[in-house]
Amino acid sequence: MSSLNSAVRSHAEAVSVSRTIDYIGLFVFFFVVCGSYHIHAMLTMGDWDFWSDWKDRRLWVTVTPIVLVTFPAAVQYFLWERFRQPWGATVCVLSLLFGEWINRYFNFWGWTYFPVNFVFPAILVPGAILLDTILLLSASYLFTAIIGAMAWGLIFYPGNWPIIAPLHVPVEYNGMLMSIADIQGYNYVRTGTPEYIRMVEKGTLRTFGKDVAPVSAFFSAFMSTLIYFMWHFVGRWFATVRFIKQS
Amino acid sequence: MKLLKNWSMVSLLAAVAATSVYAPTATAHGEKSQAAFMRMRTIHWYDLKWSKEVVKVNDTVEISGKFHVFEGWPQTVDAPDSAFLNIGIPGPVFIRKESYIGGQLVPRSVRLEIGKTYDFRVVLKARRPGDWHVHTMMNVQGGGPIIGPGKWITIEGSMSEFKNPLTTLTGQTIDLENYNLENTYFWHAFWYVFGLAWMVYWCRRPVFLPRFLLVNAGRADELVSGTDRKVGMAFAAATMVIVVFAMSTANSKYPITIPLQAGTMRGMKPAAEEKSVVAVKVEDATYRVPGRAMRMKLTMTNNGDKAVRLGEFYTASVRFLNADAYKDTTGYPEDLLAEDGLEVSDNSPLAPGETRTVEVQASDAAWEVYRLADIIYDPDSRFAGLLFFFDADGKRTITQIDAPLIPSFM
Repeated sequence: MSSLNSAVRSHAEAVSVSRTIDYIGLFVFFFVVCGSYHIHAMLTMGDWDFWSDWKDRRLWVTVTPIVLVTFPAAVQYFLWERFRQPWGATVCVLSLLFGEWINRYFNFWGWTYFPVNFVFPAILVPGAILLDTILLLSASYLFTAIIGAMAWGLIFYPGNWPIIAPLHVPVEYNGMLMSIADIQGYNYVRTGTPEYIRMVEKGTLRTFGKDVAPVSAFFSAFMSTLIYFMWHFVGRWFATVRFIKQS
Repeated sequence: MKLLKNWSMVSLLAAVAATSVYAPTATAHGEKSQAAFMRMRTIHWYDLKWSKEVVKVNDTVEISGKFHVFEGWPQTVDAPDSAFLNIGIPGPVFIRKESYIGGQLVPRSVRLEIGKTYDFRVVLKARRPGDWHVHTMMNVQGGGPIIGPGKWITIEGSMSEFKNPLTTLTGQTIDLENYNLENTYFWHAFWYVFGLAWMVYWCRRPVFLPRFLLVNAGRADELVSGTDRKVGMAFAAATMVIVVFAMSTANSKYPITIPLQAGTMRGMKPAAEEKSVVAVKVEDATYRVPGRAMRMKLTMTNNGDKAVRLGEFYTASVRFLNADAYKDTTGYPEDLLAEDGLEVSDNSPLAPGETRTVEVQASDAAWEVYRLADIIYDPDSRFAGLLFFFDADGKRTITQIDAPLIPSFM
């Protein structure tokens, strides 16, 4: 067989090979993103996502969407530009959550016995679905950066509220007012994480009374737009076909 | 190829031997690795009591005592303006039920004053069976963890029996071990399946090669149909509806919530300590490296109204006792206790008004074991500690010392 001949002999065989490549590609893609996005997440949001007593209404809401919109922006560009696939953000957060759950369950619970209700990761899928569907419907990176990334930042806190609301119920604990999440942080001893390391409820948002979370979410949404714009260039760089054309 | 196979086999055997033949449990907390000057010149823990050495799951252990915030706090360590009374254990094998400084509950960071002494108490509840080394610990922002003495405590029973009940201000009684767990699993599983459904919708058709070829052929628009757009709209709308529904459901189920509580607690009440009646001047101090012994020349003046004797020298959690003057009955950890490690050239009672210069030698293997001898390699080679004097009735007076230490290698 000459090197110019096709490696397959029929349409059915071509379809079969194509699907095999799809499955292998999806498998590899999922775990490559899982590893790289997970490292990025741990290095940037770290403790904010590890512990329930760090998940506050100011900094957690602000930091997490901003640092996590990065990979979705890059992967969305790669998948949409080269394959017209609108699931770049979703595959990123699904792979990240897969890695995070392995980490939280086997490391935090299985090795060191921190209860899972104290160390669960944040929910990210709603924002990812909105990012992907907005790219699909608009077919515009600019529109996705402005509206999609805005939606990504805005929906983060309400998307997580159903799992953190029960942890913000007040308790009188030996004469002090604490939330259940605070008590989790106090009860389950972290020798290497003293209380003063917690970066919660810091800032100057004091003129909005108790309605701080929406303001934080809007700021986060605005910043997510900028970060999306920057990181979509990373996607451009990785999605180059220069080398394929040359060969 | 054969060489590769051989080396692979050797590597595999080495890995198996390293992990299965000898894999000891990590039992300490690195306290010996901490710079000696930091252990000597920051927080001095004393009068410590561990209420029990063997407990069952759900039983409590109380650690109590005092800590003195040393006047000669080193310049290289940040002042304890934000400090946290912690406990050194390998993960939450105990839970911390209560911790107090000067009678005040301290679940948050506190401000400590240099030169003051504070009473403290920590109540732990046994959670995970095993033998655990339990240390007192003070974390200082900008200084790191300052670890105190550690003692082995055995927990018996089964972790499955552990309960951590709590009653909220809304009247609900919960068990923190599994509270909100099903809810967390449910929402995570729900959204994960939702995200997978979105991907499956797209991946049930060819994913990569055919689409890449069509995009390259300029026919990208053919890859997204009207139905695809409608499905996309449906997913976006469903996402928003579900989020709004879930949030309003959570709000109606938990109408009263508060933000996380944070902020440094100030105004910790120091312990009422009597002023020392013995003035001590360190004339000189040397550490003899081969002999594992520290020698001090002290000039002591008794300003009290009763004769006293030097019974103990305390530094970095190690206690050197003069057995003639004082014996420990508190069950202090043996490795930190030199029961006869303090020699005084003339330890006859120091009469009121008397001034005497004596040679004091503190010697024990603990200097080496606890790496206190490494002070000569520290950036601030001064030693410090507490001297405990006792009168005939056993009443104690404490004097702090702080002076340069000169090593002797001969």
